[in-house]
Amino acid sequence: MAAIETVGLTRMFGRRCAVDSVSMTAPKHAVYGFLGRNGAGKTTTMKMLIGLLRPTSGVARVCGVDVAQDRRGAARKIGVLLEAHGFYAHLSGRENLDLTRRLLGLAATEIDRVLEVVGMTRDGGRRVGDYSLGMRQRLGIARALLGSPPVLMLDEPTNGLDPDGIADMRLFLRELPIRAGATVLLSSHLLGEIEQTATHVGVIHEGRLVVEGELARLKAELAPEIGLRVDDPARARAVLQSLDLTLSEDAGGLVARLRPGNDHDQVCAALNRELVAAGVAVFAIGARARSLEGVYRAASALSQSRFAESV
Amino acid sequence: MLAVLSVEIRKLNRSLALVLAATAPALIAVFAFSMLLRSETPWEWERWIGSATAIWAYFMMPMCVTALTALVAHMEHGPRSWDHLRALPVPRWTLYASKAVCVIGLVLIMSAAVLAMTIGAVVLGGLIKPEAAAAGGLDLAAHAWILAKIAAAAVLMIALQFWTAIRFASFVPGLVLGIGGTFFGVVATSAKEGVFMPWQMPVNILATEAWRVQTALTLGGGLGLVVLAAAVIHLARREG
Repeated sequence: MAAIETVGLTRMFGRRCAVDSVSMTAPKHAVYGFLGRNGAGKTTTMKMLIGLLRPTSGVARVCGVDVAQDRRGAARKIGVLLEAHGFYAHLSGRENLDLTRRLLGLAATEIDRVLEVVGMTRDGGRRVGDYSLGMRQRLGIARALLGSPPVLMLDEPTNGLDPDGIADMRLFLRELPIRAGATVLLSSHLLGEIEQTATHVGVIHEGRLVVEGELARLKAELAPEIGLRVDDPARARAVLQSLDLTLSEDAGGLVARLRPGNDHDQVCAALNRELVAAGVAVFAIGARARSLEGVYRAASALSQSRFAESV
Repeated sequence: MLAVLSVEIRKLNRSLALVLAATAPALIAVFAFSMLLRSETPWEWERWIGSATAIWAYFMMPMCVTALTALVAHMEHGPRSWDHLRALPVPRWTLYASKAVCVIGLVLIMSAAVLAMTIGAVVLGGLIKPEAAAAGGLDLAAHAWILAKIAAAAVLMIALQFWTAIRFASFVPGLVLGIGGTFFGVVATSAKEGVFMPWQMPVNILATEAWRVQTALTLGGGLGLVVLAAAVIHLARREG
């Protein structure tokens, strides 16, 4: 049984479709990175998973519990960090946690436990109004951990953090499945953040889940790419047009995407030969690391081409 | 429900609600104290408590209800904590019902405080100026009963203010409703139709005609409970 599962989850706002038939699966003990641009449908999907929004159609399940049928049963299985933390600034971190603890009917010792997990035992007595954003994020995670729910849903947990805070948070999130035995659903619009934290990813684009799976597998399935740094990219493009590959350009220079099955070394040598023969100076040529950005770009491109075909 | 109520009380304990709950009756008591010091002749206890009760029912209570409902609503609107609360495995209606219970409870506490503080102010004034000290007997039970009926007649007004304050994240709609209701309550006090206006129902408990008292109690209390239940159901069922 998956920790989180949706089947054909759809949500309309009037005539606008914010989430379009999303079927996603987050396996147990995974760190599932839910990736998409701002406005892609991440938050709407997450709100349906915690019962804040009702789906127009489709099903959302948390640990097998249908959210629409048994909201409270599903809510017992999931701890949530929302973008708006909802802390009472005039109360201390400990007092804020205590309010939620009482609503959940948990023992008072839970507060010490979760504060320790997020490394905030010393700061628990301070007013939340005096906390930095990073401390509020960690307190939010502590609150989500109350009662040790099997699933944690964290909406943009590194938002507003400084570089050190982001690095700490990444490490913390990576360790969460081991520390807390939980499955983590992590939403972000930052590719690097997801790449360094998640074991599984789902990419949502204009309300549709365009790619999903284990991150390592998705990267392995990517067509190999060769990066090129040349003196005249326009001329290089013209020279390479006759070869069986796809050319694009990014901040690092030209990128040649190979066809599946092409021999990487052979193509590299052929590219170099053609360019040198045509008088293009080649400064650097080599394999590019397969990245989540590549997965994301490929998925977005596929989604756009499908959309163009359907119009 | 008890757990949610206890959490609500804890939140209120550390907010400015108690300051408000103490200030409004204290202002009425200060006014009574000043009046007594200016008075050359003694007034009956009934007149002192009757005046304080009228001031309370006439405009102090409607204004306090406006402020209290805005305050309890903005405890959640301000830090945007509704999503967190509504995502918890507790029945959503209890979140709203406990807030409504707290508002009504505070109104009852303030009503009792009006009585207690006014008595205290009049006793103190009488010690300072014995020639103006209150005369006659003090029928505490009768005054407490009238204040309880005033609070009961205020339930419809509380329900409407509560509904508006929780429904809208901005405090403006609730304030406009409260200021508007109090304004018409004050300028149209003598209008017979006023008894059908929620903000005038509390003061109509002091009317000499029995039908006005009955109407204010039945509509303010009975219909008030129905509207309050409708508000709780509506707020619990709506999204966002």
